[in-house]
Amino acid sequence: MATVDTPITLATGADALAPPLTFRQMAWRRFRRHRMAMAGAVILILLFVYAFGGGLIFTAERANFTDTSARLQGPSAAHPFGTDTVGRDVLARTIQGGRISLMIGLMAAVLEIVIGVVVGAVAGYYGGVVDSLLMRLTEAMLIIPSLFLLIVAARLVGGSVTWIIIIFALTSWMYVARIVRAEFLSLKENEFILAARSIGTPTSQIIFRHILPNSMAPIVVSATLAVATAILSEAYISFLGMGVQPPTATWGNMLDGSYNYIESAPWLWIFPGLLILLTVLSINFVGDGLRDALDPRSRNV
Amino acid sequence: MRKLKWSALPALLLIVALFLAACSAPSGTTETQATEAPAAEETTAEEPAAEEPAVEEPTAEEPAAEEEGDRQIATFIWTQEFDTLSPLYTSMWFSTITYSLWNTWAWNFDENLEPVPVLVTEIPTADNGGISADGRTLTFHLRDDIVWSDGEPITSDDFVFTYEMNVDPANTVSSTYPYDQVETIEAPDAQTVVVTFTEPFAPWLATLWHSLLPAHVLRPVFEADGTLDEAEWNLAPTVGAGPYRFEEWESGSYARFVKNENWWGPEPAIDEIFFRFVPDDASQVAALQNGEGDVGTFIAYSDVPTLQDAGVNIMTVPSGYYEGWFMFLGDDLIPGHPALQDVRVRQAIAMALDRETLNQDLLLGLTKPVETIWGGTPYESPDIVPWPYDPAAANALLDEAGWVDSNGDGTRDKDGEELVLVHGTTTREIRQDAQAVAQQQLAEIGIGLELQSYDSNVFFASYAEDGPAYTGELDIMQWSDGPFFPDPDHYYWLCSEIPTDEAPDGANAQRICDEELDGLFQLQATQTNTEERIATFHEISKLMHDQVYWLGLWDDPDVWALSGRLQNVKMSGPTPFYNITDWTMAE
Amino acid sequence: MSRYIIRRLLQAIPLLFFVSIILFVLMGQMGDPIATMGGRRVTRPADRERLTRQLGLDQPGYMQYLYWLVGNDWRQIDLDGDGVPDTTGTRRGILRGDFGMSLMKRGQSAWEVIWDRVPNTLLLMVTSEVVIIIFALLIGVFSALRQYSLADHVITAVSFIGYSTPIFFFALLSIYIFSVNFKRWGLPSLPAVGMFDPQVGRTPGQVALHMILPVATITFVSIAAYSRYIRSTMLEVLNEDYIRTARAKGLRNRYILFVHALKNAALPIVTLIGLDLALLLGGALVTERIFAWPGMGRLFLDHMQRFDTPVVMGILILLSVTVIVFQIITDLTYALLDPRIRYD
Repeated sequence: MATVDTPITLATGADALAPPLTFRQMAWRRFRRHRMAMAGAVILILLFVYAFGGGLIFTAERANFTDTSARLQGPSAAHPFGTDTVGRDVLARTIQGGRISLMIGLMAAVLEIVIGVVVGAVAGYYGGVVDSLLMRLTEAMLIIPSLFLLIVAARLVGGSVTWIIIIFALTSWMYVARIVRAEFLSLKENEFILAARSIGTPTSQIIFRHILPNSMAPIVVSATLAVATAILSEAYISFLGMGVQPPTATWGNMLDGSYNYIESAPWLWIFPGLLILLTVLSINFVGDGLRDALDPRSRNV
Repeated sequence: MRKLKWSALPALLLIVALFLAACSAPSGTTETQATEAPAAEETTAEEPAAEEPAVEEPTAEEPAAEEEGDRQIATFIWTQEFDTLSPLYTSMWFSTITYSLWNTWAWNFDENLEPVPVLVTEIPTADNGGISADGRTLTFHLRDDIVWSDGEPITSDDFVFTYEMNVDPANTVSSTYPYDQVETIEAPDAQTVVVTFTEPFAPWLATLWHSLLPAHVLRPVFEADGTLDEAEWNLAPTVGAGPYRFEEWESGSYARFVKNENWWGPEPAIDEIFFRFVPDDASQVAALQNGEGDVGTFIAYSDVPTLQDAGVNIMTVPSGYYEGWFMFLGDDLIPGHPALQDVRVRQAIAMALDRETLNQDLLLGLTKPVETIWGGTPYESPDIVPWPYDPAAANALLDEAGWVDSNGDGTRDKDGEELVLVHGTTTREIRQDAQAVAQQQLAEIGIGLELQSYDSNVFFASYAEDGPAYTGELDIMQWSDGPFFPDPDHYYWLCSEIPTDEAPDGANAQRICDEELDGLFQLQATQTNTEERIATFHEISKLMHDQVYWLGLWDDPDVWALSGRLQNVKMSGPTPFYNITDWTMAE
Repeated sequence: MSRYIIRRLLQAIPLLFFVSIILFVLMGQMGDPIATMGGRRVTRPADRERLTRQLGLDQPGYMQYLYWLVGNDWRQIDLDGDGVPDTTGTRRGILRGDFGMSLMKRGQSAWEVIWDRVPNTLLLMVTSEVVIIIFALLIGVFSALRQYSLADHVITAVSFIGYSTPIFFFALLSIYIFSVNFKRWGLPSLPAVGMFDPQVGRTPGQVALHMILPVATITFVSIAAYSRYIRSTMLEVLNEDYIRTARAKGLRNRYILFVHALKNAALPIVTLIGLDLALLLGGALVTERIFAWPGMGRLFLDHMQRFDTPVVMGILILLSVTVIVFQIITDLTYALLDPRIRYD
């Protein structure tokens, strides 16, 4: 991690008189100044506490307990968020659903980054035939509009959580791979890499210790946004009937089951809808802040 | 700025062009479009100038041109678009039920499921000599005043042609049933059709002549192409024989049927039937609520109160479909769960489900529990005692069968095997809700239920395609099925239907081979005497009920939504539009 | 320049080949097109056996791919099920322009099925794109000029909300409010589904009216991406030296903005739009489904539902080709606008 902590002099001029800051300090400063990103981060923490902390009290068993005589009841002391079409407690389901939805988001993002980094790093570092083969694959995957690809894949595997995580990752690693490859191409001819190589540092160490940390900024930003994309996509394919199947709750499939009750039972859509919106919104704000903080040059949305 | 303006220009031009293209696409009267004056707008819908030669109508007169403005149009909201309109090539319900509008069954079924002759003078019976003594030969006498919508008479030749096209291997028809049961078909004269089956064929009344192909239109096509697979008529059946005739169908958008001026029956009151394809359920409900649609079908039970509040009438029509559990018994090739081999366990399951409450709460009392797949018909045995909701008795039966909770984990077990069953169904919301409720109710008697749900085309994928319904992944399968309504015939439980690697297409997903049942099913299919057949079915239904091979959850009628404007609507399950000529629309 | 185009086109060939294999493998594993064929009952065994053979679905996956690619008119196939391949195939394969016959809309070629939807999809999507670009330019430029002002924050927040809302949710809510409830309250309501009211007919006014909700939906959820991009591009340009110089020279602000800044910011924006244009052909899956708009996205979903491989593959291949073509066009436009770039 040595390279990350090396002081970087930025030609801003604003901080000319202050002592040189490390990259992390700079980034943190910039992030803190991004008020929406800070707000997003706080909300996100609260949401995680809600889903994972709440899950200790409202167990999956409770979320799946049906009582058809108490179906479609509005918010009350017994059911603060009301009950759904088979009398399950909506509060417990938003908590359990939140666990699954957030997990899908996080795991898909992690897996996507891993695949993307491996492909990008291998292609960028080795170059030649490996590079062109991997890049053709990347391009081929990029050419098929991602939503269509996602739907084809979702149709293929059906609605289990694991598979949904896998297909989200498999259909979205390409951007990361490209970013990483580009970074590798530009960095691998750098002097410090050449130096490391000349003293016989093993390849894996060069990749993971020297090059990767230097391309961290764009990776972190894409990972953050990937979480939001995965949560939205889960809702999206639930709407098309290919998401995680009930009785397992996710915010997406809870929302999907609620359209017939837009007026008669609004609590069915307000709560999962609001939670999805809040989560995705906060992640997007955090992502925006991170981008400004880590990588002032980039301007992808 | 200037640059941007220029780049915006082509886009705007493109929109305008597309707009005009979209507005004029099928009716093609560009002059009317160009004026864009509101006054000229009405004419576009009224006078569809046929641009394709194939669509051209031989009749010169423009119908309804004189009643401009107050044409009565009934809009049907269809959640699935027709795949094709040709009776040869579709088995899609949304497509086949339209035949009684524009193509006509030889006889319809009324709301009491009595046959009403349309093309024939009378329904063949043994008494009127229409059915031969051995039950194999049927004689149909056609009316002599029936004509196609282009004025050509309908003759026995059309019937023979329809049969030939159904069984010709050059046509990749969706189903050859029931024509593959026919040995010979003859047309002694223009008004007589004689059909001889290889075996006496009991279900003919419900399955024969659901549609007719116009020989004078299609025979030349068949002779030229060697097949009807690509006939234009399939997608634009301009010649039909119903009270309405096909006018146009635009992919993804709508299809129009207008009055058939050559129809020999009573003139319909409604001028035009307009089908609009709206794939989303919630949008369908919105369209029915705000009056954009007059008729909707396949309404989810949960939407019924919403629609009723908006003044939409709900009509439930028995369709012969019943929602139920198919128990997977398995055989040597694919063994089932040992517990399900024991009839006592199956009976315990039947008594552990509170089906009455399920129907009242989840299906809003619009349905009722059923005992067999012939529920509510004369074919169900009157001796059947419905399974009561009795968890205590269910527990006792399971104890007796040796399934007890020996390891104290809350689930019964026997010989080291836990009584956990896998339950699978399709992704329809009501099914998934029922699954969740069933899981809890079975847990109360110590049976674990693991829930799965699949897209229906995955769920029903064949044995060869490793479909979950056929591979033994599931112990209990739930879907809605029925006989060839209103006929009681069914083939799922024949031993010969068990799929194997050699014959992977069998329909006996449960792998049940009960010799007594098998014999009874084979017998009934050949009984053309109704009384004898009913007696056989009483045995069948009693046996299936007591053995709990199939556990009925609710009868699954077609749920139709009809706007308050529509009056005099009667419907039957097989031919929902049999009295469409009586339908009227109030203003 | 032409050599560059030819090279790019040649490179596209193996790429498309790759794409088609990936997709075909996925499609082949997915499900059974003749399981129910849209019926309410499982297909009868005898029919299933016959159709599998007649439609060529009994062939192994690689043969089906081969037939799809180059056709089967060079081969004898067994149509009548007597075990003897004695009929000559009729398919010519996608390489010879034959997309195959649709398995669902029987009797029509996949190409015709797809082509029918192109005008409707483009009408909806191009209109939406134009609306999006106009609004995104206004919003983007405005918030760049007023960076970190209250208005900037509000606009950012709203556009992010649009960006974070599941599109179907917004669509259904808007139907419910503007179509169902406005009608109930006696207000002028918007139609929810279709392209026109059959009682009135297919007039430009009707089509425009029916486009309001879908276009608004698409705009709401996708405007953030553009406006944020325009904002940051503008910010960057506004900080460039020549803008400062122009300011120092005392040129009018509006003049600077439109003539200098926007002109230079246009380049990256054009790139972004150019790459997105190809996707317009794909339509809007969910929007088209909810508003019953007869476009390509809905076609994809409907035929996907029935595992209609020829049509689904046709759509995806068509989209892939369009994406490639637009990539090339975008690159060329780029070179045209920026004299520093040369491809030869």
